[in-house]
Amino acid sequence: MDLSLTSDQIAILDALEALTRPFASVVLHETGFALTDPALDRALAEGGFLDVGFDPDLGIGTAAIVVERLARLPQATAAATTAILRPALGLEAPGPVCLVEADAPHRPLPFLAPGATVVVLGDQVTSFTAEAVQVRPEPEALYGYPVASLLALPEGRTIHALTPTACRTHWQVALAAEAAGLLAAALGSACAHVSERRQFGRALATFQALRHRLAEAQVRTNGVYWLALQAAHTLDPADAALAAFHAQESARLVVYDLHQCMGAMGMTLEHPLHLWTYRLKLLVSALGGRGAQALAAADALWG
Amino acid sequence: MDFTWTPEEQAFRQRLKDFLASTLPEEWERFSQHGPASPDLTRYAETFCGKLAEEHLLTPHWPVDLGGQGLDPWHQTILAEEMWIAGEPRGGQYMNVNWIGPTLIKYGTEAQKARYLPPIAEGRALWCQGFSEPGAGSDLASLRTRAVLEGDHYRVSGQKIWTSYAGLADTCFLLCRTSEDRKRGISILLVPMDTPGITVRQIPSLIGEGDIHEVFFDDMLVPREALFGEEGQAWEIIAYSLVNERLGIPRYSLARAALDRAVAILRAEGRWRGEAVRIEAAHAAALCEAARTASYAIVTRRAAGERIGPESSSARFATVMAERRVAEFVVEYLPEALADAHPYLKMHHQRGIVAGIAAGAAEIQLNIIASDVLGLPREPR
Repeated sequence: MDLSLTSDQIAILDALEALTRPFASVVLHETGFALTDPALDRALAEGGFLDVGFDPDLGIGTAAIVVERLARLPQATAAATTAILRPALGLEAPGPVCLVEADAPHRPLPFLAPGATVVVLGDQVTSFTAEAVQVRPEPEALYGYPVASLLALPEGRTIHALTPTACRTHWQVALAAEAAGLLAAALGSACAHVSERRQFGRALATFQALRHRLAEAQVRTNGVYWLALQAAHTLDPADAALAAFHAQESARLVVYDLHQCMGAMGMTLEHPLHLWTYRLKLLVSALGGRGAQALAAADALWG
Repeated sequence: MDFTWTPEEQAFRQRLKDFLASTLPEEWERFSQHGPASPDLTRYAETFCGKLAEEHLLTPHWPVDLGGQGLDPWHQTILAEEMWIAGEPRGGQYMNVNWIGPTLIKYGTEAQKARYLPPIAEGRALWCQGFSEPGAGSDLASLRTRAVLEGDHYRVSGQKIWTSYAGLADTCFLLCRTSEDRKRGISILLVPMDTPGITVRQIPSLIGEGDIHEVFFDDMLVPREALFGEEGQAWEIIAYSLVNERLGIPRYSLARAALDRAVAILRAEGRWRGEAVRIEAAHAAALCEAARTASYAIVTRRAAGERIGPESSSARFATVMAERRVAEFVVEYLPEALADAHPYLKMHHQRGIVAGIAAGAAEIQLNIIASDVLGLPREPR
């Protein structure tokens, strides 16, 4: 047991930090619900950061570490599903991977656009390349990603050797790793605000009613991080279901609390908090939501 | 990053399991319902810890020259997990090996180490910690028990309360006020509990018999050599001690074992049906795993020789969340457990309910996280 980063992982995170620094410091003022940057996507692809999972010496564990770090950026990227599902499926084609459950095709999908690879989780794992007629963009959506709806699942999809259980496990890992980064960034954003904002002659952060809620958010964020990394390293179905459950349950609780801590400022698009929390809101519904993750965990743990 | 145990660590854990299986009495689970500070369990712990010591399993993480094996913090963690899963047959002696001993090793004089470490390493010592007072619980720095130096002795007067193990302890790790400075005016005395002037009164508790006490000190005279560390150094020393105490009890392991036991009972009785019970069980399991991994992250740093700070409060609070959820699950889905149908689950309930209070209230942990982990400005006082 050793939960420290390897020298390779430290080097990758250092390089990622250098690459993303200009993007992390962009001016965030009235960004709209979702912020993306094609230059960031290109830089990540050119740097090979989303391909680390293909390297057997790095694996999905390192991919999850990259996903968590990228999720802290204000810009939404398709890193989670791309970095973690593509190696599992052996998908060589670059570009975003969208995940959909066969029995829930109408859930809004982040980064769904013509040309995206759509992976369908059903009795078997299949995929297809999205075409324009199958996609309806949702520009008015209240999510922190660009989302679109899938109008139909086409016949004749490519069948993958990956089992549905393994696909679900990787999806849960991707979800949990991304949630961990989003929670960390959202918590940091809220902490900065309450440390500066003064009411009743004191910083908001000095009021215990807020301090304890933020501290509990830290405990949850830390737990989501470690459960996500454990699941990414073991790829055990029970670990993955527990990680995804804890991520969705924590997102549900923490997102509400962070907006409350911000007061009316948390209701504006001037402040960037929503760039992280409104991504979390979409993750909460993935794979049937926390109840489904809990049932999956119970099955995996106890039968 | 490696989430697996080495073969050597697995063998160490198996050795502990084998030892427990061959050593604990047949009726252990029912017997373990006696509180960890009860006379019965305290007597049994002396026998049990003696056998542990013979197997070099009582203080394996201590330095070799002080009776230990020099093993790393992972072995300490594995040992503590297996003992807690078993219902902590070391009784109150767990405290000795977790933090009393390590604190003596770090801050004690040679005479103090020579006097107090061998009995701990041999499994025949029981300590109590004289911390809380009627007017100083979470606000520990308000303590008023006074120690006044008179020649070669300190004269001590005051009262402690909610003191675990005081009824049968042979030594007290006693916090006293030696000057008016709020924190730097507190000192530590190592006091034999048979010193004239000490009166102990038991307070009946939810935790079990013999666990909580009031301790009165009436003009007690303690030799000057009983001073531990320097005068006024207590705050620094107990900060070190409490990090060990918060990490030293892997409550998540007992909570998870109790949860697994509860599910096994529900399954065997045909009550593991419907979604609600399964969702609630998984919820509790997630919190246990979150606490375990958060604790392991800290053990990783300790194993690397890093100093552990406020992040131990985060792992501690995660453990409180897990304990609470498991206890609530049992109460909701196996209520007969608290009526004595399932001794192991009843034992867990009684050990678990103190998780949010002992070694610093959960709300104090949140204060520490807010200020020292999140970096928020402090509350005005």
